[in-house]
Amino acid sequence: MSVAQALFLIFFGAAAVWFGIVVFRTHSMVRSAIALLFSQTAVGAMFLVMQAEFLGVLQIMMMATEMSVMAIFMVMFMMDPGGMGKMDMTHQKRLSLWAGGIGLVAALAVIWGAGWTGPVPPVPGAAEQAAALGRELLGRSMFIFEAAALMILTAMVAATMVAIAPREEDD
Amino acid sequence: MTLAIILFALALGCYLIAVLEDWAVHGRLDPLRPAVSALALLGREQVLPRKSDRLFFEVGPVLLLVAGLLAVAVIPLAPGLIVTDLATGALFLNAALAYVLVALIMAGWGPNGAYAMIGGWRFLGQFVAYAMLIVMTITAVAMRAESLSTTEIVTSQAALWNVFYQPIGFVLFVIAAMGLAWLPPIDLPTGGGDLAGGVEAEYTGARLAVLRLARLVIVLALASATATFYLGGWLGPWLPAWAWTAAKTLAVAAAMLFLGRHLPRLREARYLAVSWKLGIPLALANIILVGVIALVVPI
Amino acid sequence: MNGLTGAREGARAGVAGGLRRMVARAMARDLCAFFVPGMDVARARGLDLDAAGLHRADTPRRANVLLVAGPLPPSLLDAACVAWAQMPRPRAILALGAGEIAPLPGPDVAEDLSQSGLAAGLAALRRAVAAGAFAPEVTDFDAPALAVRVEYTCPMHPEVVSDKPGSCPKCGMDLVEREASAGDHGGHAGADETGGGGRRGHEGHGSDNAPAPSRAYTCPMHPEVVSDKPGSCPKCGMDLVEREASTWDHGRHAGAVETGNGDHRAHEGPGGHDTHDTPAPSGVYTCPMHPEVVSEEPGSCPECGMTLVPKDQAGDHAGQVHAKQQGHGGDSGHGGHGSAPEVPGIEPHFMSMVDMTRDLPASPDGLRMEWIEVPFGPFFPGLPGGLGLTFTLDGDSVAAARAESLVPGVLAPGLPAAELADRLAAQGPLAPAALRELACRALEAAAGAAPPPEWGAARAAALERARIASHLNWLAGLARQVGLVTLERRVAALHQRLRQADAADCARVAPALGALGARVRGTPLLRDRLAGIGQIDGRAAAEAGGPVARAAGHAVDARADDPAYAALGFRVIAGKDTGTGGDAWARLVQRLAEIDQSLDLIARAGAIAEAAHSADLLAELPSDGHAMARVETPRGPSTLHLTLQGGTIAEARLTTPFARLAAQIGPMTAQMELAEALTAVASLDLDPWGARP
Repeated sequence: MSVAQALFLIFFGAAAVWFGIVVFRTHSMVRSAIALLFSQTAVGAMFLVMQAEFLGVLQIMMMATEMSVMAIFMVMFMMDPGGMGKMDMTHQKRLSLWAGGIGLVAALAVIWGAGWTGPVPPVPGAAEQAAALGRELLGRSMFIFEAAALMILTAMVAATMVAIAPREEDD
Repeated sequence: MTLAIILFALALGCYLIAVLEDWAVHGRLDPLRPAVSALALLGREQVLPRKSDRLFFEVGPVLLLVAGLLAVAVIPLAPGLIVTDLATGALFLNAALAYVLVALIMAGWGPNGAYAMIGGWRFLGQFVAYAMLIVMTITAVAMRAESLSTTEIVTSQAALWNVFYQPIGFVLFVIAAMGLAWLPPIDLPTGGGDLAGGVEAEYTGARLAVLRLARLVIVLALASATATFYLGGWLGPWLPAWAWTAAKTLAVAAAMLFLGRHLPRLREARYLAVSWKLGIPLALANIILVGVIALVVPI
Repeated sequence: MNGLTGAREGARAGVAGGLRRMVARAMARDLCAFFVPGMDVARARGLDLDAAGLHRADTPRRANVLLVAGPLPPSLLDAACVAWAQMPRPRAILALGAGEIAPLPGPDVAEDLSQSGLAAGLAALRRAVAAGAFAPEVTDFDAPALAVRVEYTCPMHPEVVSDKPGSCPKCGMDLVEREASAGDHGGHAGADETGGGGRRGHEGHGSDNAPAPSRAYTCPMHPEVVSDKPGSCPKCGMDLVEREASTWDHGRHAGAVETGNGDHRAHEGPGGHDTHDTPAPSGVYTCPMHPEVVSEEPGSCPECGMTLVPKDQAGDHAGQVHAKQQGHGGDSGHGGHGSAPEVPGIEPHFMSMVDMTRDLPASPDGLRMEWIEVPFGPFFPGLPGGLGLTFTLDGDSVAAARAESLVPGVLAPGLPAAELADRLAAQGPLAPAALRELACRALEAAAGAAPPPEWGAARAAALERARIASHLNWLAGLARQVGLVTLERRVAALHQRLRQADAADCARVAPALGALGARVRGTPLLRDRLAGIGQIDGRAAAEAGGPVARAAGHAVDARADDPAYAALGFRVIAGKDTGTGGDAWARLVQRLAEIDQSLDLIARAGAIAEAAHSADLLAELPSDGHAMARVETPRGPSTLHLTLQGGTIAEARLTTPFARLAAQIGPMTAQMELAEALTAVASLDLDPWGARP
């Protein structure tokens, strides 16, 4: 990895973390959602720096739309989505602190325990990566992805059903 | 050098599209008008609406411009004349243009005006209609080229342009692209008679100039993407390669700009219904057809 | 030229250097007008902005010229002040026959109200802008309509309103600033014109008559802890928060939540929701899945284990379960319900949408969202000028609508009979010919005289020409509204040709009008856009009168009883002739058919003469008496009641179709998507001018 790459990686990593912090520091729901979006975009940019072009572009594309949809739900359902009343974005602090702490420890353990030495294998070209990813998706992992797709579809239908308010005549 | 040429082409293209748009709207051809308007716009006061979300208000137009510029970066003007020939170019175009949505939501939310806000969120609804169509038609294009690289997509059309190879995809892509660039009759976020400018309503002066420029870049990006994906990009006899790309791009842009002036603005529910109930099955059929043709008849 | 006089209220601060001079010249070439009171009035007055080389702005933010045409009533001048304040500098005012326009600053250029006046005014304005777009010193514009009172309110408890910043006594959140208008113009004069920046309409707030609740304090985590004094929770030590234990004016609370991004006015007391006093909390809980399970204690369902929810006793919200007690303990409205499961570490009802949205008004689709009130008008680009339309929006669907005329007509008593026709016609720039006819007929009725038949036919022809012009003007507005700019241009050009045409000219325009009709009917997607929109049927349609009623198949037309029309062989066209029924498309087809019919009537009459009363007629007028006349105006029947006293007109009561048509808006637009609702309103062809206040 070249120095420039490392610098970019650090930059985007820091951006991802900073936007992640903003998610909780802002009072506005919409800002919070957009900050989460840019945090994920920065992660996508990190993929790009690490030469995982397809994954990076995909991440950047998907997050834009997902977070926008999330933002509209916040505006629709939340009181005070603009944060005029200095709403606090943190909830269940004790649980969150524990979860965050455990996550940090686990990440550090992985970093510590992984064997970082050894020759780095050459990264295949972006086109090769995309082709390999396609073979993987349509080969070995096809079942997993199809199953996941079906589950998401089921969840979508179920969520819609739950969201529809029971009407008087249904009771 | 490549970058300089492309930037020059981009600026010229935007100016020509602005002339075309002015012609389409006002029914009069005035080649100087965009320059005059831009100059006048830059001299005007910039109003900051009260209680605006200042950050969103400022970032929205800039993000829109950045999204458009990134999209243009993967479009080849001629062989070798491309900012970056990504192996995932067609997907990258999508990713960049996804931020049009984010930018419009920010620009709509920022100024704290009802029309702007409704316009911004309306674009999200519009996005739900066009997004799948763009991705699915590009999928079929990439299938034929066996690559996501935009230059390879162009060279794959040497024997037959995609507009003839997959006409359904072409029509769907153009309709979806008009939705993405919020061109009439799918200009729901800014509709003049509905929302009095919508997302653009609160912007004045230089900020409005940036917003307008960004819109032009996006129209240019989509017109050139249509030319690249379906009209064979730089391919063509007699003229130099760049001239073909430019001519095709401008022709597509003119068609997009003039078509909408003769049609009433679509109803949002209608656009969604048609996109999902008719557009997506057609796009799927297009993918299957292209797949079958690509396997059976080698063109 | 000493530049933008309007004093220095129009120029932008800055010394005019070389670059600035170039920019100023560009601005002078690039004039863009915000037309007050509206493009329909501009067309009716014979102004063609395109021909004068002036672009038109949809919002004041986009304009650099405020073009005021004709005298305006004070309410519209106040609204124009807001538009002026929203325009970015450099800006200028061009007044065409407007007379005194205070509280607006004096016009930079004033001309008479005609196309040549417009052209001359523009030329002068271009010179003024080129010379004086920038001035070293500028003054701020201020007008009473712009005055706002800043008040502070709690985002969660909109009934809390204070003059000073501070924190909410109910939940402790910081109060946020909002603006209320200081003036007493019935809440509308200052309302935002096209939704530009500072929305400063009247902000009714619910503090006046909300019931005084008794105070109770509870723990956000342990709702069973209730105290009548503030303090901390004995179980977890958290600060107790206030809740209201008494009856709660549900509607007021439900509607009046300010949207977060500032000053969109919240809806107050939505129809059907207000004055719904929910009873004090009483413990009836039920399972969302098993309604037969009813318990007096919170807990979980014996059949499925789900948490029981409070049962709605009032039960008028389509089965929506909603609170009987104030649920917002803490920051985002969670906590406070006895039914919450006690999961350690998880707040009760954490992120529960049911909790957060329970006090919001529910629309029929069951989705609870905040409602915002958005003004459209009086200068909205897609609607008639002078119409004050307010939609209460639930997302992008219309929950409630209110329409009123900001340009009502008032005739001062003691008016000489000779002036009646002119005064009445001046009140209605959109239909002066019809009002003139109405005035003459009323005077004729009072005098007991009738015009000779050939005279009557020519007057009928003048009325029909006004009808064609009015329908074309409407069509241009509708084309604008749905984004058909080419059609708008074409229709406006035809309108200008026909506006003052004589019978022979009308015959020459007829083929072009026929082609226009075919073009409109054949416009791709237009039928799709209009069909099914704004359906009005049955009795409501019959009451509406005019083309709206006829489009729905009711053959109601005041012309049917008119001998002058009978002589011309008039026959009422109604929906069954055009083969459509009751929606916006039907109204379009109906009006196109009426244009053809009117052309035919003009051809038969052979001459056009606008109504006028002779001196003989005035001499025959009785000094005291009462008379009434009725005319089918382009929008429906108008009636005029005259009371003569001592030779002058003591009272002239004009009833225009506006009120009847405006009454349709509420039921018609209920639950429609915003754009469709606006199209539906536009399809009614409202004329707010001269409506009864």
